[in-house]
This record gives sequence, structure tokens and C-alpha cells, in this order.
Amino acid sequence: MTENAASSQLRSATLVNPKALMQLRNLELRARVVVEGFWSGLHRSPYHGFSAEFTEYRQYSPGDDPRYLDWRVFARSDRYFLKKFEDETNLRCHVLFDQSRSMSYGSIGYTKETYAATLAATLAYFLHLQGDAIGLLTFDEAVREYLPARHRVGHLRQIMLALEKPTGGRSTNLAEPIGRLASLVRKRGLVAYISDFLAPIDRLEASLLTLTACGHEVSVFQVLDPAERTLNLDHAAVFEDIESANRVYIDPVEARRDYVLKIEAHCAAVRAMCQKLGIDHQRISTDQPLELALYEFMRERLRRGRQIRAATHHRP
Amino acid sequence: MSFLAPFFLIGALAVAGPVLFHLIRRTTRDRTVFSSVMFLPPTRPRLTHRSRLEHILLLLLRCLALGLLALGFARPFFRRAASAAGAAAEERRVVVLVDVSASMRRSGLWDQARERAAAVLGSVAPGDEASVFLFGSKMTPLVSFEEWRSTPAGARAALAAQRLAATAPGWEEDHLGDALIGASEALADTDVEKKAAGPREIFLISDFIAGSRRDSLQAYDWPKNIVLKLETLKARNPTNAGLQLVADAPDADRLTSPAMRVRVSNAGNSTREQFRVGWARPAGDDFLGAAMDVYVPPGQSRVVAVPLLAKATDMERIILRGDDEDFDNTVYVVPPEKQRWKVLYLGADAADDARAPLFFLRRALPDNPHLAVELVARAPSGSVPAAELQEARMFFSTDSLPPETIAALRGRMLAGKTVLFAPKSAREASTLAGLLGISGLALEDVRPADYAMFGDIDFRHPLFAPFADPHYSDFTKIHIWRYRRLNPGLVPAARVLARFDSGDPALVEMPVGQGRLLVLLTGWNPEDSQLAVSSKFVPLIYSMIELAGGSSDEASQYYVGDFIPLNSGAGAGESTTIRRPDGTTITLPAGAAGFGGALQPGVYLISTGQHALRVGVNLSAAESRTEALPPDELERYGAPGPRSPPDAKRAAEREALVQGTEAESRQKLWRWLLGATLAVLLAESALAGWSTRRNSAAVAQGGSLS
Repeated sequence: MTENAASSQLRSATLVNPKALMQLRNLELRARVVVEGFWSGLHRSPYHGFSAEFTEYRQYSPGDDPRYLDWRVFARSDRYFLKKFEDETNLRCHVLFDQSRSMSYGSIGYTKETYAATLAATLAYFLHLQGDAIGLLTFDEAVREYLPARHRVGHLRQIMLALEKPTGGRSTNLAEPIGRLASLVRKRGLVAYISDFLAPIDRLEASLLTLTACGHEVSVFQVLDPAERTLNLDHAAVFEDIESANRVYIDPVEARRDYVLKIEAHCAAVRAMCQKLGIDHQRISTDQPLELALYEFMRERLRRGRQIRAATHHRP
Repeated sequence: MSFLAPFFLIGALAVAGPVLFHLIRRTTRDRTVFSSVMFLPPTRPRLTHRSRLEHILLLLLRCLALGLLALGFARPFFRRAASAAGAAAEERRVVVLVDVSASMRRSGLWDQARERAAAVLGSVAPGDEASVFLFGSKMTPLVSFEEWRSTPAGARAALAAQRLAATAPGWEEDHLGDALIGASEALADTDVEKKAAGPREIFLISDFIAGSRRDSLQAYDWPKNIVLKLETLKARNPTNAGLQLVADAPDADRLTSPAMRVRVSNAGNSTREQFRVGWARPAGDDFLGAAMDVYVPPGQSRVVAVPLLAKATDMERIILRGDDEDFDNTVYVVPPEKQRWKVLYLGADAADDARAPLFFLRRALPDNPHLAVELVARAPSGSVPAAELQEARMFFSTDSLPPETIAALRGRMLAGKTVLFAPKSAREASTLAGLLGISGLALEDVRPADYAMFGDIDFRHPLFAPFADPHYSDFTKIHIWRYRRLNPGLVPAARVLARFDSGDPALVEMPVGQGRLLVLLTGWNPEDSQLAVSSKFVPLIYSMIELAGGSSDEASQYYVGDFIPLNSGAGAGESTTIRRPDGTTITLPAGAAGFGGALQPGVYLISTGQHALRVGVNLSAAESRTEALPPDELERYGAPGPRSPPDAKRAAEREALVQGTEAESRQKLWRWLLGATLAVLLAESALAGWSTRRNSAAVAQGGSLS
């Protein structure tokens, strides 16, 4: 199936209007609505079960944690086996979630942060259903909260609570949390980086390079409000920077052309950097259904899996 | 519609504020929070175009509220035409007071006064009434209200100007207070005639000097509605020094003192300090002998003793030089002349008989600085020389006199002389009858059982007036051993001046022709009474001499305008001729009490028969204090306050203001305007609230939909 065919298939399914979705107050419910819609949209999809792994047992050897002994196997065979946990074998995914104040902007009834939190929750729920381990790191100008990647009962709930916590940050430091994550997470895994990237990107490339060098797969979600992309405001006003509180008188009619050029150049710079580092970059507008973002994410993951398998098969 | 405080209408310009705020509000008040302005190019702020004014109704309401508020503060009222017309119909009455005191003789002042008077009278409308008064120490009408009314309207000012041109400042003192009171009373008199109270004005044309007398204003209750307008004249030369004679103590012997003391006073605004003082030559204005240099700072005075010149015989003027204004630079000095009197005593007493009346009478008449009495005693039996009878100014007698002497004495009495007759016994009744020219007069010797005393005394009579004070009025210590009883009813026009305690007359005054006969019905010798040894005797004898015309304190110095009393005794029966300093003479009839026409300074010669008296008349010292008073000085005395030059326009404006205030307080339009302002503000608040709610709802709705 081609990309366009998959998109049209998704569109033919009932995509959830983001505005309607954001009226739901429960974050987990929003994530569940998106994922279930996504599944129904991918009915009889060839990509079903792409990440399923077999669970194994291993002979107990002294020193292993007795908590992981499988007592039912012991009852049948009278031998000690350790249950080989899914998290050890499945994907380990960390979500980097930007909670800086610029994310609290929204021109269409809800903020970028609400949208981005729903996106993070959707990813977490989706991967949790697949049995992957999910971790979370929230940050603004510094790291605020860190939940290690786990697949455990209640962990998803903790992630949802962490995503729903009110933000207190002001500015954005894009590079510092990546470095912190690199030092915390030694095992290779997937890193989903959700931010608006409306900040200088000077040191971002070096930090992302650190992550990729550690063997992590990195997906970047750049979430932008429609007004931020097109400056489609009518009235001239004093524009106040939500982070620095700087005030500038702007007539959008006059400033729109220059602004669009600058923001597009900035986004292009972010994209070019990601491509250079082999990082998946996805720019998402907050008026765009979340299923499409999830689909793009899945599609990119599949594409990478094929590339890896092809490389493995072609290896002499 | 008129306004009481029209300058508050400027406040209506504040409507520019809301208009401006409505114009610039969009650019300054709207704020939009944006995620990041790092990609936003700043736009230059600019005003919204007028055509883009929003909330026009709100703007109109706000402007209306401000306009109504300004209108309310301006205190509008509707003028009633009727009241204004009524006020305009009242006629004005004006009194012009022109100062002709001596200080107005300074250079240039009188010309100014005439010009100002002409200007004031020229401003009087034909329907108004005016009068002109001159004032110095007295107030003299120049043009009365009646003359003003009877003169054609076009000739009134010319009449006053013509009379003013024929007038010149005199030498009198400036009695400003009396003049103002006289002017206000003249206006009050016209009130009675007119039975209306139109505007009344007093124009005071004066140099308004510090020496003017204003004390009478203190007790005066000013009538209302009189406006006092002050036309102050300014002298060309500020320097003025004055010269005044310093009065000596009454008992000082001025004839023997080596110098005359004068005070040199310098006005406060003078520019000179160095002057010269000395005697003047009888003819001419230069000094007689050496002059003295005197240094007097402005505002101060110095007393200088000008020494008498040993050889000069005609020292009657002391002059001051070095002054700009010379009207007060001369004092006329007339040393009082010592009177020499001859008194004739007709009695048989021995000169050294200590029990006889002559002995005591001689000792009761010592010399004093003003009067030297020469007592000549003649026995009644001998003949009295006719020359002595003519020379004698007064006669004393105690004995019976021969008929020829009685006739001579009676002749002198008829000519105005005074005779004291103190009969020693009842036998002298015939002499008394002869002196009185009557017959059938009887005296009776009375010897009281113990003693008699003086009882009822007429202290109002000049003879006893010096004893009127309770300290000296006790005559009861004088015991009288014997006296003569007289029936005064027999003598027509007899006046009993004192009575004994028994009720019998003690001292009787009987007029004889132009003279008088005093009859003392007891003797002062010790056989009759204790009178001669009492403290009352000498003063009583001097009282008799004064009554006879020998004034002991006859003044020789007066001020211009003073009433100069004539010596009644000296002038009895004879007319008095007065020669003024300018050489003119005036004759007063016999019996005139005095002379009030000394209106110029100098030496006056007053001649009555053989008696001549020189009197020096000088300028009042107050006229030398020529520094100008502050314009509000009269207000301290309760006067209605000097106003600036005549300004009918300002008066009309003031009147209109008063009427406007009354009309405004009656109509109170500001209350309605304030209520309307509040109503407009309420409407504005309601409209603004509704508009804000509508906008908020629109924003909320637009935010949730977009």
C-alpha cells in the first residue's frame, strides 16, 4: 500500500475532530479515543502485530531476583524458571515533553500543550497496548519530571498524571533535557521529542547527536498552532511574548509576509538538522487530527524496520 | 442666557480627551499574547483614522457629560431685563471735595487739583447732580446742589471751573475728617429731598498728607451706599521741611530767655537733609545776622534754639532755608508784652496799718511775668488827680467818698471800668447809692452771734470760676465776724455772686453803664473777717483784675483759623481795629467776643482804644507733614474706602454681577445641569457595560468556534 492510499484509507475512516477531542477533560480518555479510532481505521491492516515478540523463560540461576520466578511453571514442572519480561525484550520508548510557556499558546480554543499532551498520551497508550515500555521526561528551561520506561500496571496512569500537571516553566532550553536523558537512559530505545522548537537551535544538534550516537531512535514532533504558521490574525495590537514578556506593536497585515518567511526558514532549519542526523521529523499543526500524526509515526517506524531487515538480509 | 463664571466654559474643551482616547485606544490598549515574537518584525504605531472611530454613541455621551458639567460650573442664569432697566434709571449724586489747605500751596498741586476736578465734573451726566466744596479747617461750598440744578446742563462744569480758577489754596489746616463727614451729610440732606437712594459718590481731590486731621472719622457712622473715590495729587518736589515755634512753659519768662526755640521737621519722603535757620530781616527774605546749620534726616525733627539778637529790635520772623517748598518755612514770633496796670485805692487807711484793708491789698498784688500792678492809694478826703483817674484800670474803695470823687468814679464805670466797693460800715450807704446813681439805699451792720461764713457761691461766674474745682471750692474756713446787710432788690440788674450762710448777700455785681460795680459786704481786714489771711484772697483779687480786663495769660501766638478772643475788659465800650499782615484793616464793633478771620500767617495788630496787642499767627505744624498717606488709610476709620479713579463701566459691571448672582441663586439652573450630567453618565455606564458584555461574548464565542 502506498502512502497516499493509506492516508485516504484513514480519511475514509472517522477521524476525530481535534476540537471535539479536546473538549474531553480526561487525557487518558482522549488517548484511548485516538488509538481506538486509529485501530478501527487500520482494520485488516497488513501492519498488524508488527512489534509482537515471544515471551521466553530462562532457567533460574543463583543471583536472579526471586520475584520474577514463574510459580505456575514451577507447579507443573517442579523446576525454577524465570519469566522473561516483556520490557526486556520489547521497545523502550521515552517521551520528551516540552512544558515551556510558549506551549501554552493557542488560537483555536485549546493550547499547543493540550494538543501535545494528548499526542504524548496517545503514543504512550498505543505503545503500552503493544506491550512496550514507556518513559516520560518533562522539561522547560530545566528537567521537571522523569519517569523511567516501564511496562507495568499503573505506570501508564502515572504518565498521564505527569502529563496533566500544570506547567510552571517560562523559557525553553531544547538541548539540556536531551543531555540529561542521554545520561539517564543507557539502553537503546525510542525517543519521541515533542516540542514547538520556537527557540534558538544552536546547541540542539549536538545534543541530538549524543542521543543518536547512543543508539536511540529519535522522532521529533514539532507542534505549531495554525496562527504561528500563517499569522492569520486580523487586528493590529501590541504582541506580548508569552515567555520573555517583550512587547512589540504588530500589524499582522503588514508583518505576515516577513513572519511566514522567517518561521518557514526556522522550521526548514530544524528539519534539515533532523535529516542530517537521520532523525524522523514531523511538523504537526494543532488543528490536524491526531490519528494522522500517529499514522505518520507508525509509517516511519515501519519504514525504518524494513530498512533494517533489508540491511540484515543483504549482509553477506 | 448669561454666565456667572464663564471661564468654566473652558472646561468644555475637555471633550477633546474622549475623542482622542477613542482614536488612540485601539493602538495602545489592545494586547495579544503570542508564543514568541522572535520572528515578528515590529510595526510603527499609528493612530486609527478618524473615520475608524468606534463606539460613536459612547463618545457622544461622554462628550455630552463633560459639556453639561462645564455648563453647570459656569453657573448659567437668565437675565431679567426689567431689573436692569430699573437700576439704570437712578440718578447719581456727586460731591467733589477740593483741598485748599496750606499744603496744597506746594508747586503744581493746585493746577492738578483743578484739572482733576474738571475731569470729575465733566464725567457727571446731565441727569446727575453734583456739588463742589472747598475744605481746609472749614468746609466752604463752591457750587451747591441748588446752583447745579439751576444752571443749564452745558454750563455747570464751566461754572465750577470758573469759580475754582478764582480760588487759591489758603493757609488753613487740613481737616479731612470733618470735610468727609460734611460731604456725606450734604448727600444725606439730598436724600431727604429726593426720597430716593441712587448712587452717591464723594470725590476727594487732595494731596492726602499725613498731617491731615482724620480723628473725627473714628466716631462717625458712615451711611451705606456712599462710594468714596480718592484723587490723590502728587507734589512735584518731594522735599518739604517745616518750621514751628516750640511753646514755652506758661511760667517761663520768655522776655528774659536768651533764645527762641523752634522745631525743624522734615517730611518722610524728603530728599534733602541740610537746612539753615535764623532770624529774617524785617524787609526781605535774607537772614538777619548769622544763620544756623541744621541737619534733619527725612521723617525726623530737631528742636533748635535760635538766639535772640542783642541789637535787633524788630525780631519777628524766623525763617528756614534749604527747602524746596517755602509755604511753611516762616514762623512769626511775638514776645508777649508785660502789661502794666495802675490800680487806684481810695481809702483813709495808713499804709503801714496792719489791720487796715490797704495793708493786705498791697501785698496781694505782686508782679508776675505778664502783669505788673501799681497800686496808688489816695485818701478820700483829698482830691484825686484827673490823670490818675484816667490811667487807673481798676478802683478799690472802702470809705465814704466825697461827691466829686463819686461822680468821677461813676463816670469811669460808665466808660467800662470796674470798681470794687467794700463798705467798712453802714455809713457808707450814701457813697454806694451815689456810685449806683440811686437813692434810698440802706446798709445795716450785722454782727453774728458767733461768726458767719460764705454759703451759696456762684461758681459759674468768671470771678469764682477758678474756684469751681472741688479742691478749691471750700470757703467755709473763712470766718466772718461782721458784715453789712444790703437789699439787692433795690438795685436793678444786680447779681448776687456769693451769700453768707445767713442768706444775706456777700458779693454783688451791679452793672453801671458799660462797667460794673462789685460790692463786697464785708471787709478783708481782720476786724471784719479772715478773708485776707485765707488762701482765697489773692486768687480772688486776681480774678477781679482779670474781670476788669487785665488778662494775665493773654496769648500772643495763634494758628491760622484760630478764634482770637478779644479782651473784654480792655475793649469794653470801644471798637477794635485789627491790622492784618498784608496791611488791610478790619474794625470790629464794641463788645465783639473775638476775631475769627486770621486766615493768613503773620503778625496781627489788635488795637482797642489805647490798648494794643500784637499777635503772631502761624501755620499749623500738621501741614508740614506732607508725606502721602497710603490709599487705604481712610478704611481704617470706617470710611467706605477710596476707590480708584471714576470708572462708571466698572461700577456697572459690579452692579450687573450682583444682579447676576441674585438671579443665579434664584434660578439654580446648575442643579438641573448636574442632574442631567448624572443621567448621561448613568446612560454611558449602562451602554459601556452592555457593549463590553457583548464584546466579551463575541470573543468567547469566536474563540470556541475558531
